Amino acid sequence: MTVRERLRGEPQILAMGGGGFTMEPDNAALDDFALSLVRVPEPRILFLPTASGDPTAQITAFYARFARRASATHLSLFRRHGSSRSLADIVLEQDVIYVGGGSMRNLLAIWRAHELDQLLVEAWRRGIVLAGLSAGAMCWFAGGVTRSGGPLEVIEGLGLLPGSFTVHADGEPERLPVWLAAVRSGELPGGWAADDGVGLLFRGTRMTRVVSSRPGTAALRVDAVGDELVRHRIEPELLGADPAHPPTPASLPVPDDIRELRELRQAMRRS
Amino acid sequence: MTTGRPPQIVAFGGGGFSMEAGNPLLDDYVLSLAERERPKVCFVPTASGDADHYVVRFYRTFSTRCETSHVSLFRRDRGDGAVEGDLEAHLLRQDVVYVGGGSVVSLLGAWRAHGLDRVLRSAWRRGVILCGLSAGSLCWFQEAVTAFHGAPTVVRGLGLLPHSNCVHYDGEPERREEYRRFVGDGVTPGYAADDGAALHFVGRDLRRVVSSRPRARAFRVEPRAGDVIEEPLPVSYLGDARLDLAVA
Repeated sequence: MTVRERLRGEPQILAMGGGGFTMEPDNAALDDFALSLVRVPEPRILFLPTASGDPTAQITAFYARFARRASATHLSLFRRHGSSRSLADIVLEQDVIYVGGGSMRNLLAIWRAHELDQLLVEAWRRGIVLAGLSAGAMCWFAGGVTRSGGPLEVIEGLGLLPGSFTVHADGEPERLPVWLAAVRSGELPGGWAADDGVGLLFRGTRMTRVVSSRPGTAALRVDAVGDELVRHRIEPELLGADPAHPPTPASLPVPDDIRELRELRQAMRRS
Repeated sequence: MTTGRPPQIVAFGGGGFSMEAGNPLLDDYVLSLAERERPKVCFVPTASGDADHYVVRFYRTFSTRCETSHVSLFRRDRGDGAVEGDLEAHLLRQDVVYVGGGSVVSLLGAWRAHGLDRVLRSAWRRGVILCGLSAGSLCWFQEAVTAFHGAPTVVRGLGLLPHSNCVHYDGEPERREEYRRFVGDGVTPGYAADDGAALHFVGRDLRRVVSSRPRARAFRVEPRAGDVIEEPLPVSYLGDARLDLAVA
């Protein structure tokens, strides 16, 4: 067993409602948090941009964020990587595997076609941290809500984590009602909704922490009890809340409609 | 609705607008099969992950003389200029569906997840001409040789053509050896094509081989008498003026 393997802990998944380098070019809080979950001094991180079809802009943003923080590589399932190493060798030597957003239906179908889904489950079991946002977060759960076919619809995930997950709860508010209806009807099990910037950390299959790169954001736990939905709001720990370097409005641009939604939500909580 | 054309597939070993800038011979050949003044051509770049630059090159090549469109399976939510709504109805209206290169494994996974395998099969039956290079060639066959993850392996394609296929036959010597070994080990006999050579099937049978390069070759590969033979096929070079006369 290598030192790297000895330093691995229990299985961990960081599921982000949105955020990280593809959505927050000026805010590295969530990405730094993902790296902080591993104990090796020079972590290896592998980016899987499958859900978006390996777009160059995403890959470039990944290296811009991680090249100086870790030993960073990406795995393309569309362009030949020119390596004769097996997928298993590439995947199982990592410390963090980071999955980008996009089409969840394509993501799962393409992983399965390459038999990468099984390798990722094995990586998780071995204590390689799985992190991702949007489709790259919902994929680990029993299910979620996707636009892979155009309109919003329920989709099944890999089921490593019990419960369902829905993303961009503030950035794309039209998702939430579709998810709530699916939980109410039993089409999806109860689970979590996360705003952009919010990450849920699971150790094993237990949710242990909720963190955020943006003030004013939240996660929501929802369960169907009889015909009722029981909602429980979870306040995240704000990452990088360093009083010497408070986040400036310029580094955290919030569109007007999202700010309005957050204000509404806070007003509802107060009432 | 019927096109009046038989099922046809033109499978390029490599070539066309994405590999042979300035050499339109293979693409022109496919368009000529449509027998329309302004054929409807739809590009399906799934195997490349719907790469933007690839889509742009498609429009640059075809938009002046065809009714062009493209299908994106990665951006069904945003449109981005791709076909929206009912993909099946759109694809069945086309004269030509042009499938780009990339990873045939990723292409097949995504197509099956969206039901595009079924749609393209019915398009083919109705006479929509299917063509493509590399992954866009391999996908139509029963079995195909891909070297995407390094060593060549055999994958199951859509099976419209009951043969096997190997592309870029001149490009990678390892593929050639492996293909023959696979066929010896029981893979469906089939066809290999160099870059610049295209296999034109009518129904399930090979009608002719055309090329955009004078020396591009194609082969029938099949077991015979305990060995695997590689039989060169006659190739019509499309840049040869005499051929044009012969066809006319």
